[in-house]
Amino acid sequence: MRKVFIAGVSVSKVEEHWSQSVDALVTKVVADLTDVRLRKIDGIFVASALAETLQNQGNLGAIVAEDLGLSGVPALRVEAGDASGAAALYTGYQSILSGISDIVLVVGVEKMSDASPEEAMFLSSLSERYDYVGYQGVTESSIAAMMYKVYLEKYELPQEMVAQFPVIMHENAAKAPHAQYQFKTTLENVLSSPVISPPLRRLETTAPADGAAAVLLCSQDFLPTIQHDQIVEIAGCATSTDIVFPFDREDPLKVSAASRAFEEALARAGVSRNEIKVLEIHDSYSILANLILESIGYSEPGKSGLDAKNGMYSQGGKPVINTFGGLKARGHPIGATGVYQAAEIYMQLTRLAGSCQVDGAQTGAMINLAGLGSAAYAFVMRGA
Amino acid sequence: MAWRHKRFRYRLVVWRCLNCGAFHHYETSICRRCRSNRIAEELLPSRAKLVTFTAVKNPPAGFESQAPYVVGIVEFEDGTRLLAGITDCDYEELKPSMELERVVRKLTQDGESGLIIYGYKFRPPIKKH
Repeated sequence: MRKVFIAGVSVSKVEEHWSQSVDALVTKVVADLTDVRLRKIDGIFVASALAETLQNQGNLGAIVAEDLGLSGVPALRVEAGDASGAAALYTGYQSILSGISDIVLVVGVEKMSDASPEEAMFLSSLSERYDYVGYQGVTESSIAAMMYKVYLEKYELPQEMVAQFPVIMHENAAKAPHAQYQFKTTLENVLSSPVISPPLRRLETTAPADGAAAVLLCSQDFLPTIQHDQIVEIAGCATSTDIVFPFDREDPLKVSAASRAFEEALARAGVSRNEIKVLEIHDSYSILANLILESIGYSEPGKSGLDAKNGMYSQGGKPVINTFGGLKARGHPIGATGVYQAAEIYMQLTRLAGSCQVDGAQTGAMINLAGLGSAAYAFVMRGA
Repeated sequence: MAWRHKRFRYRLVVWRCLNCGAFHHYETSICRRCRSNRIAEELLPSRAKLVTFTAVKNPPAGFESQAPYVVGIVEFEDGTRLLAGITDCDYEELKPSMELERVVRKLTQDGESGLIIYGYKFRPPIKKH
């Protein structure tokens, strides 16, 4: 079977890029990708969740190809809600695996600053069923809040066991040059921030953000042309789906799509859970950090908060999560997030993570979700 | 589009799988849980118990004037769980397991002179003397 590698990555700082269009963000981030202009790209996969709504722009495949001077190259846009980035990566991976492509560019982009706060609230709920959730004015954050409430009640936990995750994310983002929020915060700050939907508070969610990230994938045929220490292998990847509304599932606290995708990705990579040193998880709401870590087998149900408190998921622990701040603090430019996650694992495994570097990071993984776990993508990556 | 869902939204007609019992809030011929094609219409009762609830303080477009408003999960006698707006009471009055009754309410309006969207909500029952 063919193997697929990451040959280079590029990320823009996550922030409100008022002066830059979607095209400009994409062009800039790809231009920063080392020697990408010298290579013969034979596939472009563009991830965006909201471009037609926010920028009145569809057909991003052909448009991005033109932006990059690559008209003629096969290009398509991939949408899977918050998981669009990982879905594009997955599509690019398949394209190389099938033998159709050899060098593929995966770009994720989102520009949320074009939305008003009410529009953003509406759009962040777009992954739920509109004819069940959205038409009632129910937001995704309010559903997350109910999962949060049920979680605290079930395991009889203080809110701190969930609300500390944003503190860990900010700790990591404080040293990350591309993060949206490069500062630390405290549990007191999190717990005194405004309530969005009880018990969920402002600092336990993400804020609208713009960003673009790019990843260059290649087959083994191109390895000789790339510096050995700048190669990361996508050792295994998998995706799964679930019943969309969490309270329609057997257990609203189990992110089964993530657990299935992660198991499958580990099996395909031949890697055990304990070998993963750095892990990117999808913490669009603090409670999702708990639920994911418990669903994919790192913490016992109800125990992820305690494990985190004991340092298991911070620098020096294993696996270290969201080493650049995750969705909470690096930021969550919806359709680009999965590509950021892949780029960050690449930086860790190639020792390019700067002051966010985790010592001895040889194997890493990422989990990117759509909505509240209705789809999940898992990638397991191995350094050279 | 709202009229397409009127039977569910105004009367709580759901589509029940006769094989595994899963409910659908939309008309279907394939069960979302077991893929059976034995689906039958059913009218949900008008009373249910509150499972959990929260409030929306940062509303999406179209619901600004109503915020904050309460939303929750209610459970019918047979175990069917439904997402619903909770109305006619203060947040502090609500307790898990309390009984609620269904009402039909205006949810939002499509612009100033646009279509008025109605749907079900649940409220603490009006006590009988």
